[in-house]
Amino acid sequence: MDPGPKRGDLKVKKLLGEISRRDFMKFCAGTAAVLGLSEVKLIAKMTEALAAAPSKPPVLWLSGQDCAGCTISLAGALNPPLSSLILDKLSLRYHEALMAGAGQVAEATYEETVKAGGYVLCVEGAIPTADDRFCMIGGRPFREMVEQAGQNAAAVIAVGACAAYGGIPAAGPTGAVGANKIIKNKTVINLPTCPVHCDHLIGTILYVVTTGKAPPLDKIGRPKMYFSELIHENCRRRYYFDNDMYLTDWNDPAQKNWCLYEKGCKGPDTYADCPVRRWNDGQNFCIDCGAGCMGCAEPEFYDGMSPLYTAESERSRNIMARKKAGLIPRSKEKV
Amino acid sequence: MGKKITVDPVTRIEGHLGITVEVENGKVKDAWSSGTMARGFEALLTGKDPRDAPFVTSRFCGVCYSVHQMASVRALDVAFGAEVPWGGTLLRNLAMGAQYIYDHILHFYHLSALDYIDIMAVAEYKGNDKALKAVKDKVIAMVEAKDTFPLTPRYQPDEFCVRDPDMVLSAVKHYIDALAMQAKARNMGAIFGGRQPHYQSIVVGGCTQYPDVNMVAKFRTMLDEQAKFVNEVYIPDVLAFGTGPLFPLAKAGVGGGHYNYLSYGGLELDKAGKDLVFPAGVMMDMDPAKMEVAPFDPQKITESVKFAWYEEDRPQHPYKGQQVFDLDRKEAYSFIKAPRYDGRSMEVGPLARMLLAKNPDVIGLVRKGAKPGVVARHAARAIETKLMVDACYRWCDELLAEMTKPGFKIHDTAHYEPPETGEGAGFFEAPRGALGHWIKIKDHKIANYQAVVPSTWNASPRCEKQYRGQYEESLIGAPVPDPENPINVVRVVRSFDPCLACAIHLIDPKTNEIRKFLVE
Repeated sequence: MDPGPKRGDLKVKKLLGEISRRDFMKFCAGTAAVLGLSEVKLIAKMTEALAAAPSKPPVLWLSGQDCAGCTISLAGALNPPLSSLILDKLSLRYHEALMAGAGQVAEATYEETVKAGGYVLCVEGAIPTADDRFCMIGGRPFREMVEQAGQNAAAVIAVGACAAYGGIPAAGPTGAVGANKIIKNKTVINLPTCPVHCDHLIGTILYVVTTGKAPPLDKIGRPKMYFSELIHENCRRRYYFDNDMYLTDWNDPAQKNWCLYEKGCKGPDTYADCPVRRWNDGQNFCIDCGAGCMGCAEPEFYDGMSPLYTAESERSRNIMARKKAGLIPRSKEKV
Repeated sequence: MGKKITVDPVTRIEGHLGITVEVENGKVKDAWSSGTMARGFEALLTGKDPRDAPFVTSRFCGVCYSVHQMASVRALDVAFGAEVPWGGTLLRNLAMGAQYIYDHILHFYHLSALDYIDIMAVAEYKGNDKALKAVKDKVIAMVEAKDTFPLTPRYQPDEFCVRDPDMVLSAVKHYIDALAMQAKARNMGAIFGGRQPHYQSIVVGGCTQYPDVNMVAKFRTMLDEQAKFVNEVYIPDVLAFGTGPLFPLAKAGVGGGHYNYLSYGGLELDKAGKDLVFPAGVMMDMDPAKMEVAPFDPQKITESVKFAWYEEDRPQHPYKGQQVFDLDRKEAYSFIKAPRYDGRSMEVGPLARMLLAKNPDVIGLVRKGAKPGVVARHAARAIETKLMVDACYRWCDELLAEMTKPGFKIHDTAHYEPPETGEGAGFFEAPRGALGHWIKIKDHKIANYQAVVPSTWNASPRCEKQYRGQYEESLIGAPVPDPENPINVVRVVRSFDPCLACAIHLIDPKTNEIRKFLVE
């Protein structure tokens, strides 16, 4: 990729510190395309906003009925690295898994940050509504904290499937719901997938602190820049789906690239950019490792996608019925 | 009656934990450990396809997800009658190796280190090392901007804190370097796991990722970088801290506990499964002169719910446990049950494993006068990270040899469909310690699911005999000269690497139904 004009190079280096221009370009490319801005323009806009801000944008991170998987996913960020984000770019006021303080020291920081307002609120994990006692932090119901912190937030991001739509806990007995069921009258940006993809999260935070508003969202609150295409549309196994070639034996090298429908893949029903973006710095992702898509970017996850590793769900039967009725378009024929 | 102090939330751990201590004459006299979040996993798994269990139980914990998948598929392997081919086991083990390496690095640098250094000492650095000066400038810039989150606010540094500017600065630099290393270790695991956190490829009967030579080569190359960091940074840091400025903390025996240790053993190094990375065993009332290890007997595990939010019950083996949920229970203070071995409270995890394996480095530290406690736990964790790196090299070699043989297999395809009825127990050694999953299948569906996880052992409340849990016991005697600044309390608790979401998942408040788990 052409690194662009020299002038911009210096500017980016100065303002973004450790993040190399190339890394940042790589990271912004997807975002820029969706916005219809040239990459250079977008970077200039983002870096100007970061520079113009009198201080680092405050971030308040609350964890409820979570597994910390979204925090660990965030910690997978390499371009830009998490160290640069939490030490140079953002003011991470409260995050139970990362902050130095504990107990009353942590509580006091939470109170002060909420009082001051104007922060980006990230919610990780679902919120129990059957009984507040299913999630208590510092003796307070988590539900109340989300409600309270939501009121003074400049923006609210529901991080991961649990915070977005209830996720796996929603299938359990605690009445677990997503953040938008607790924070009313405010846009909640939903970043499902289980866990969140660190690019989705960092990109959304940067978008929000740069523009001061939420990115364009689809009907269920997901940023269009990440969730506008079906997994199936970009799947490298699509040719085999079109030709009814389904993997049945993981031991057979001849089948290793075949469609994973029989193994429960929900790609034709799931909106997310995983096949293009991939996971773990592009290392691999669910479909490439032979396991199929579990539909974790959709509100019906987990109950509506189960069973996960076989085509016996209502969902899977429905996919096949639509295929047979010619309702799932074929990809271009393989050359 | 001493003064009671509650630390809630305990931060830099996985999950939600509150700790209450009673302090008298500057020392902890009594302690209570309380798990404060529940999701009801057991209830949501009942009636599901058994093959969902590894995927769902992975979400017990987003830090140590893969080990739950592993314990879960092992329980399923037994219940389905699946025989995992050696190729499948190797792929699983490589994925687990990456988990261990990332997990231990993250725990030491990002979850624990801030408890042991006075970060503001970096300002006094006078040296000329370019990389260290860059870190110093970064911290000073944060101070000047009056925004030092998330490094402050914090508990005030005490006499055990390292203040030497060179040492502190290099620790902060390694904190930053380690952020990249732990991420890269997860990327390494994704080669065979599909992605991290939450692997996708670990299924009953084996693994779904068909390997090729390039994948193994890539894994090895990434492993080289991890090995270099572990050998040249992580272990030297832990040893320098443990035998230097933190030796008084070790000698004072802070965070000792019951001195009872348990390991289920695991991670096969050879096809026959005879050579294991971690041997199984039990040690009661450790005597440094003897170090006697008894064999592990699964039948001796019981769980008590006397002080947990469940209806009172006799202590039972997990196979036979009954649970009646009771949120209003008077004496209860935790969602965590109290597992006991032969009626005793046990420590599980790296320290237990290294003592039971009679690791010469850890035994050496103990014989030098360091009582097993906070510092020994960090040392044991670092040492076994190296063992895991070495094991990964061996598994890479084995996999290369295996995959070039005719008829190479990664999966037992004949046993992928759930049996009509079945049951199985899956034991595994997780980074945090002994982990067990139990499944019962009826009409091809999950009839019951149970897990006793490492943090259930370590973070448990009292049992009916009033024996404290391991966190609780370890806190007894910890110095707390200033009740406003209970830094030793969090040091002790964090040294176990708590993972609370794991420990609490077994309740059904909606139906209040009695859940029976019987294996005929």
